[in-house]
Amino acid sequence: MEATWAVRAHDLWFAYRGQEWVLKGLQLEVPRGAFLAIMGPSGAGKSTLLRLLAGLLRPQRGRIEVLGRPVADGRRPRAQVGYIPQQLGLVRNMAALENVLMGALGRLHGPAPYLGLFPRAEVSHALGLLEALGIGHKAREKAYRLSGGERQRVAIARALMQRPQVVLADELVSDLDLPRAAEVLSIMRRLGEAQGVTFVVNMHELPLVQDYADLVVVLRGGQITYQGAPRQVTWAELEGTPL
Amino acid sequence: MRWELVGRRDLLLWLVGAVLLSLSLQRLGFFDAERLGRGATNLVTFARDAVPPDLDILPLAGRALWETVQMAFAGTLLGFLLALPLAFLGSRVLSPLPLVLLSRLVVAVTRTVPALLWAVLFVIVVGLGPLAGTLGLALYTVGYLGKLYSELFDGVDPEVVEAMRGVGASRLHLARFVLWPESANAIISQVLFMLEYNVRASSILGFAGAGGIGFYVNIYLQSLEYTRLATLLLLILAVTLAMDVFSAWVRGRYLLSGR
Repeated sequence: MEATWAVRAHDLWFAYRGQEWVLKGLQLEVPRGAFLAIMGPSGAGKSTLLRLLAGLLRPQRGRIEVLGRPVADGRRPRAQVGYIPQQLGLVRNMAALENVLMGALGRLHGPAPYLGLFPRAEVSHALGLLEALGIGHKAREKAYRLSGGERQRVAIARALMQRPQVVLADELVSDLDLPRAAEVLSIMRRLGEAQGVTFVVNMHELPLVQDYADLVVVLRGGQITYQGAPRQVTWAELEGTPL
Repeated sequence: MRWELVGRRDLLLWLVGAVLLSLSLQRLGFFDAERLGRGATNLVTFARDAVPPDLDILPLAGRALWETVQMAFAGTLLGFLLALPLAFLGSRVLSPLPLVLLSRLVVAVTRTVPALLWAVLFVIVVGLGPLAGTLGLALYTVGYLGKLYSELFDGVDPEVVEAMRGVGASRLHLARFVLWPESANAIISQVLFMLEYNVRASSILGFAGAGGIGFYVNIYLQSLEYTRLATLLLLILAVTLAMDVFSAWVRGRYLLSGR
């Protein structure tokens, strides 16, 4: 039976050093197909939580399930989970299109990709994603030549190229001004809805969260202080959270 | 003006360095004015005896020089092709620790032996001639490029590696799609540097019977035929300068515009 929850975390404890807990007994449940925004001040543990969900860190205590399967020993169901790190993790010396095609590596076999040969259908899909994100004309441009906003779109396209069921994104639109961030989020949501993708995204901007997220989690001192609908989140709730 | 000592450790390091340098120079005879003066006179005599260069040997020297350049190219390329997989194995980004240590040990051993000594060993193994020199240069190249490349790969942005692991990339994928493109500029730059170095190094491998122009350098040096020696040295200088120009052109054309 397919799990109702895309992501579940139970009694999650994590410390980088000794007993300096970054997360303290955190509970989280994200329904399939939802867009969850994680908010909170710097140092609240937002990025750590995402890295744990992505299987890049191992909790000292607690359990994480993604798509009904436990994330254990730093492993996760790779192909179905896209992860966009804070600095995006693009290969600077590769073209935007090549970077997006990296999202297909998990399902491509044989030596062809090593020679730069990718199935035409995959190339068309990658170009379609870049087009949908408004940077089709930059497909052949090397990543280091792209602006911050363009790079973010390439990272989103790469994650969607995986055909994931869950996308985890760290500070995805923090470098963009509000109108551009809204544009990127709206495209991402549209593309994601078509594929039934669940999003878990760290964000700072309350207006954007209220417009685009289905659920909000506010994290403070390693604990969840608010969990619910975005419209009910107030600045008071986020007190201390930088804009 | 009043001064205050802030970097106490820096000053101490400078002092220790200066003392060690002075002691070494003194021991090596650098402060022996009479000996240095005699050396300067000998240098003038040598320069006078070497002029004008004997151009009659140009056809012979040209052939030997061409062999030297071929040795350098082949040795560098062969060394590069061996160094690259060793560096991938020696990178902590890709390989488990035992493999990293093993690969680094192999590379360190090859680096410990100088090119000339490798050439001597290969003369024993494959006989006199340029094959021994080429193999010697190749192994020396493996030692240097293997170390430089594995350190280069370790320095690749971990977030890029993390992101690519996230899309399901295998180790081979990481080598081809992250480490190679992210390091390509430095890889090519270092191959060019090694080529320059090998052109110079291959000029003396002939001393050991390992082919190239060094064979004739040795002969003319021992028979005191300085005008002929001067011709060879000028040719080596010309090739070295040409290599400098070539690698500067490649760097400017393909590498500097790359970032």
